[in-house]
Amino acid sequence: MSDSKIIEVQHITKRFKGLTAVKDVSFSVREGGITGMIGPNGAGKSTTFNMICGYYPPTEGRILYKGQDITDKKAYEYTNMKIARTFQIMKPLKNLSVLENVVASAYFGHAAAKSEREAKERAMEILHFTGLYEKRHILSKDMGTPDQKRLEMARALATKPEMLFLDENMAGLNPAETEAAIQLIRKINESGVTIFLIEHIMQAVVSLCEEVIVLHHGEKIAEGTPAQVMNDPYVMEVYLGKKEGANA
Amino acid sequence: MSEKRKAVRTYHRNLAIMLGIMLLIFVCIPLFVKSPYIMNIFVLVFYMSTLSMAWNLLGGMTGQNSLGHAAYMGLGAYASCLLITKAGINPWFSAILGMVIVGLVAGIIFYPCFILRGPYFTLVSIAFGEALRQFIINSTFFGRASGVGLPFGRDSWLNFRFGSKIPYYYVGLAMLLLVYLLMKKIERSKMGYALRTIREDEDAAAAIGINPTRYKIMAVVVSAMVAALVGFFYASYIRYIDPELMILSKSTESVLPAVVGGAAFVEGPLVGGLIMIPLSEFLRAKYSSILPGINMLMYAVVLLVVIRFRPTGILGWYMHSRVKTFIDTKILLKPPVEVLEEVELAKMSGKE
Repeated sequence: MSDSKIIEVQHITKRFKGLTAVKDVSFSVREGGITGMIGPNGAGKSTTFNMICGYYPPTEGRILYKGQDITDKKAYEYTNMKIARTFQIMKPLKNLSVLENVVASAYFGHAAAKSEREAKERAMEILHFTGLYEKRHILSKDMGTPDQKRLEMARALATKPEMLFLDENMAGLNPAETEAAIQLIRKINESGVTIFLIEHIMQAVVSLCEEVIVLHHGEKIAEGTPAQVMNDPYVMEVYLGKKEGANA
Repeated sequence: MSEKRKAVRTYHRNLAIMLGIMLLIFVCIPLFVKSPYIMNIFVLVFYMSTLSMAWNLLGGMTGQNSLGHAAYMGLGAYASCLLITKAGINPWFSAILGMVIVGLVAGIIFYPCFILRGPYFTLVSIAFGEALRQFIINSTFFGRASGVGLPFGRDSWLNFRFGSKIPYYYVGLAMLLLVYLLMKKIERSKMGYALRTIREDEDAAAAIGINPTRYKIMAVVVSAMVAALVGFFYASYIRYIDPELMILSKSTESVLPAVVGGAAFVEGPLVGGLIMIPLSEFLRAKYSSILPGINMLMYAVVLLVVIRFRPTGILGWYMHSRVKTFIDTKILLKPPVEVLEEVELAKMSGKE
């Protein structure tokens, strides 16, 4: 593991007409690690995420990937830069089988498969890795939420990324499923993929992340290891409300 | 393991034999069928199914519903006819030129509307067809409303001109097969997967590195070029074209075989065309003299029934039906598709 920063976000701001969704947020993602972003609903997590992933450009600020400015890159240009993402609201290719979903991804990216056979081989590998192998012939619309979340990751992994963005990959899962998802994310990270994730589930963030960024009302309010962040008085106030008798 | 492989091999062989027999039947039909009327229906099936396959590349595979395919076909017909009559170019060569011209026109016209999402493409395709038709009706160069005729003369392969319907039958069949193979190739290629990903979700497509605009343009260009080829065939067969060729209802006709047969399948337009076109001809011949228009009504009822009860088309139903299981186990001897694929994939993982 190196200490170099793979992603650097510099003072990004996003305004939608009058509303400022994200205000002057800066942070960086260490290469090889798992970085998390938490915050209450409406804190601007998804907006920040979508800006980094090229779905909409920031109003102000810059985003660097391996020192290169990628602020104005289009979403579809990211795959070739070895960056992949998942969606909070799953976007499976509903009328295709699980296998075909992953094969489609294997055709793209910096190491794009040259033939259908190669793409299928890659897809099978990924399906084994993500535990979807048994379900490969099911239409993806017929799977439940946990499997669709897994499929999101499988599709992203098939492009052979070095940097993976996970958008609330555990929302809607029960504790057992969450645990399985945590295992999978750890496994992906151990295979050498840097991970940045947004999550609501504290258990996941605490057990996975080395570094956490907390957003509130579109601003960064804390940053550090999970333990540091959890003990930060302001973060506690935001999450749990003000302590009775505490000074204002 | 090797037993499975053997079973798959037998299955493949039997499937090839079955398809070979079907092809042989089509090749032999002209030897037995002498009625020009029946022959005409076959030729109609061939070129309309081909046109429908062109539509299906956009509508079925990419999810971009075009209602302007008659216009590409018409433009292709006009381009090749005018190249033949005005520039004296050989028909075969003018067919290729016509395809290139139509591909370019389609690419340029639809580029702006593919940047947008939603129904804009469908709307523009309707407007494009109608505008083109009006333009041709009012243009002396295109022969106005009276159309363009191709010269008659001695039978000749060089000029693709025959008195009999038999050569058209074979050329039509060959065109159908070639376009089918092309579509099958596209379906299994990178482009095919990209198009289907775009159909399902454009954001998901962008997330795996697909530029949706680029692939949609590729699809519309290929689709329009195939439609132009059909236009050339039509013009050479009928030997006369007029602007009515581009009317909106003709575009709808190109959609029907795909929808009835199953738009999710490359084979859909073939199955749909083989059923719907003879049906439409039969109803017209049999009933339109009894009560004018009743044939249309009956056709519409058939169509509504299929769409209501088999929304995924005939193939969509067949793929999960007992009929398929029966054919697989009794005639082709076992391996249903899943098992077949499993062996193929087991071979792969065995290699690692």
